[in-house]
Amino acid sequence: MLFRYFIKRVISLIPVVLIITIMLFTIMKLMPGDPVRMMLNPALKAEQYETAYDAMFRKLGLDKSYPEQYVRWMGNIFQGELGWSSLHNKPVEDAVAEPMRNTIILNVFVIIIQLAITLPLGIQSAVKRGSFLDSFIQFFSIATYSMPSFFIALSLIFIFAINLGWLPVGSMPLTNKLTGFAFIGAWAKYMALPVTCLVLIGMASTIRYVRNAMLEALSNDYIRTARAKGLSEKVVIYSHAFRNALIPISTIVIWNIFRLFSGSAITETVFAWNGIGHVLVKALNNRDFALVTTMNLFFAVLGVTANLVADISYGLIDPRIKLE
Amino acid sequence: MENKPVQPETNQESTGKKLGKSSVSLFKRLFSRDKTELSALEEEAIQTPGMTILKNFFRHKLGILGLVVFIGIVALCVVGTQIWPIDLSYSETIMRNIRPGRNYLDYPSKLEEEGVEQLSSGVSFSVALSKAGNVYVWGTEPSYIMEDYSTPVLQIPQEVRDADIQHIAAGDRHVIALDSQNNLYGWGVNNFGQVETTKLLRTKLAQKNVAQLYANEMYSGVLFEDGEMYNWGSTMVNRVDIIPEEYQGRIKKVSDSGLNVALLLEDGTVGAVGVRGNPFSQIPEKLTDGSVNIVDIAASYRAVAALDDQGELHIWGDVQYDVLDIPEYEGNIVGMEGSKNNLTLLLDTGEVVYWGADHYGQLDMPRAITGNKAVDVYSDFFQNYAVMEDGSIVAWGNDGFLFGSDEMGRDIATRVIHGGRISLQVGAIAVVVSTVLALLVGMTSGFLGGFMDHLLMRFADIVQSIPFLPLAITLSAVAMGHLPESLRVNLIMMIIGFLGWTGLARLVRAQILLEREKDFVLAARALGVKQRNIVLRHILPNVFNLVIVNVTLSYAIMILQESALSFLGFGVKAPNPSWGNMLTGAQTSSVIRHFWWRWIIPGSFVVLAALSINLVGDALREAMDPRANVK
Repeated sequence: MLFRYFIKRVISLIPVVLIITIMLFTIMKLMPGDPVRMMLNPALKAEQYETAYDAMFRKLGLDKSYPEQYVRWMGNIFQGELGWSSLHNKPVEDAVAEPMRNTIILNVFVIIIQLAITLPLGIQSAVKRGSFLDSFIQFFSIATYSMPSFFIALSLIFIFAINLGWLPVGSMPLTNKLTGFAFIGAWAKYMALPVTCLVLIGMASTIRYVRNAMLEALSNDYIRTARAKGLSEKVVIYSHAFRNALIPISTIVIWNIFRLFSGSAITETVFAWNGIGHVLVKALNNRDFALVTTMNLFFAVLGVTANLVADISYGLIDPRIKLE
Repeated sequence: MENKPVQPETNQESTGKKLGKSSVSLFKRLFSRDKTELSALEEEAIQTPGMTILKNFFRHKLGILGLVVFIGIVALCVVGTQIWPIDLSYSETIMRNIRPGRNYLDYPSKLEEEGVEQLSSGVSFSVALSKAGNVYVWGTEPSYIMEDYSTPVLQIPQEVRDADIQHIAAGDRHVIALDSQNNLYGWGVNNFGQVETTKLLRTKLAQKNVAQLYANEMYSGVLFEDGEMYNWGSTMVNRVDIIPEEYQGRIKKVSDSGLNVALLLEDGTVGAVGVRGNPFSQIPEKLTDGSVNIVDIAASYRAVAALDDQGELHIWGDVQYDVLDIPEYEGNIVGMEGSKNNLTLLLDTGEVVYWGADHYGQLDMPRAITGNKAVDVYSDFFQNYAVMEDGSIVAWGNDGFLFGSDEMGRDIATRVIHGGRISLQVGAIAVVVSTVLALLVGMTSGFLGGFMDHLLMRFADIVQSIPFLPLAITLSAVAMGHLPESLRVNLIMMIIGFLGWTGLARLVRAQILLEREKDFVLAARALGVKQRNIVLRHILPNVFNLVIVNVTLSYAIMILQESALSFLGFGVKAPNPSWGNMLTGAQTSSVIRHFWWRWIIPGSFVVLAALSINLVGDALREAMDPRANVK
């Protein structure tokens, strides 16, 4: 049953992904700038340049019609050739490998810390609805929700890096010669502020989400029954209510896991963290459109997949849900 | 139904009783929300749903606070742009990075009492020597990155207070002073040694007396009584340290500007040192060949005015800011001054004549009480002071920047207001775009269902699956290559709106599906209500609440998104201000540290706007939640 549903969903995804690729191909074709010129050595003499230009023009298949170019592009992608990054002067997959690793390292910590903070806070906030803690969390989440990420990032730098001088302002740790604790310490020092910033940015919505899920679960009749039976409050909350709140919460967790790969353009740029978001902004500023299109395609496929996984997980978590 | 006529009566009765009791209870009835006075039944009977929502909304103190703050911000940005217009092409780099302060013209009253002997202004402060020999400094501390090379310009060193100061002069961000023993003192920014006494200068000071002390953009200078001039400090660009031999020993008066120094020579001719080839250094021939006898000169950055012994004024230089257009005046010139972009004359009638640029109110001298004549005038950079016959001082020009200035010397307060208007407008239009799209898609999907529903929801999937910022900056970069500058702001609105409709579309669709199955729809259908009326009158009003709350909350999100895009350089671009792009330049640690006002102030406005909208949205959501009315 589940397998059939899975196959059905995957098949229904094919047109979605196709439309995405067509959209991104169109965007790529609309981008200003000449991809051929970016790949050529500008020091070439005029005549050599012209022949080299024509050769490259044909090599890239730009003399063909758009549909032909699209098919060719898709074919290359399926063969693992994601394009040539003009900014880094190497294949896109090589250019994004290290930033991708850096983004994942950052996001692993962000997600763990975020869940460790938001789950208990969200549950407490729902259980003690209307209490001081609840209103404080509510206000705090509205406040952080209202702050642009660059403002949070700049404020953190201002307080912790500049005024208190505890942490570096930004950039990547240099760990070539470090081992053991020194290595971990160097990474921790440089990651502390970007991780804090990303946790703060994402916290508000997660807390609200968990709180609403718990409130919904706590309003059910079986909670009253459980309490009437004389079960301890702990059992009622964590065993009865929380398990039923897991479906909406699992969506958040799954989205978070898929978000591991998507860097934050602003936070990474402000902290000069060499992650995928920072690379994307640099690529756009330098008109490296092959990299941009590939990354957007990657994000889109990731997003669609996350949707699918979230849907399927409902069936796994809650046996009452029948996937059709 | 039968209850209805009865209830208002009981209501009135109770009101009457209360009124009779005391005015306190009238107040209470008007403003307090003491619900114990009404039973649940009464409330139910007299309130429309709209009233309930309003009442519920006004129960939220934070929501009201948010509403007031938001209306305040909108009013400031809409009215403010009319009151304080912005000149997008104007920038004054010499005024860069000055901290907030509006006290540039607040001279100490003791100076007025003691009388002004000498007065000189820097970019944001002024320094004066009183007739009693005291030195006064006032204004705002200009800021600088190199702390090691600076001392606060507003703190007069103790040795200066103790010394018998004879001459004083302010540069752009530094002050130099000379005492009667020919000791030179200096304080303020010292990145080019402009406040230090060089060895050569010290030997010269030991030998001869000083006739004039002057200072300007990062350099200082001395004119000795024997007609020799010496300049030091930042001379790499303007080369004011290269003084032709033919001038040395013949200089009678010096008038300084940032790039050049104008010289009045003993034989009544004029000379200039500093940057060559600019309009300033192209002195009219008749002023150098001795055919007219010049008695006084005054230099601004761009133009020089020279007065001959016949009382005629000669002027040359750059035409910018109309600084060459001498206004008509009646009387004889007794004094001349040049500031950054202005020239000022003092007439023997006691009148002050000035012309040139008017960015900071340099052309708005407060007309002093009639009959009070000016006897002295001082102007430097953007500040002007006139000393009147009765000893009082009249000041006009730049009185400071409320929120400081940015890296181009632009007033942050004006830019925050104009940027706010753009940011709020972009957000508002983006919300309209996204809401219209969401309603169209959500309603089509919800009512039609089937294939159309499936298609539209998959489309929503696609738009939603790509992270906002990468796609938005990509689209923005694409469009920037194809669209002219003027359309960019409109484009940003469209992009933000087009990427933001999916959430609401899903909500609207879900709500319609929910309402469609409800009993009252069935009842309406059974009564024979037309399909169109069922949709318009029975289903849509129930979707309306959802839309209102969503519009409010997404307005805040879209203001934040615009600021994020502009911050990264893919939204509104300078010189057009927006709350986001005002922070673009504030990404280096030295700016974050030293020039905090450049990021904290525009950043706070974004936070304030988004927070107030979110508070309103949150209060609205709770007010519209049917569960909130359960007693």
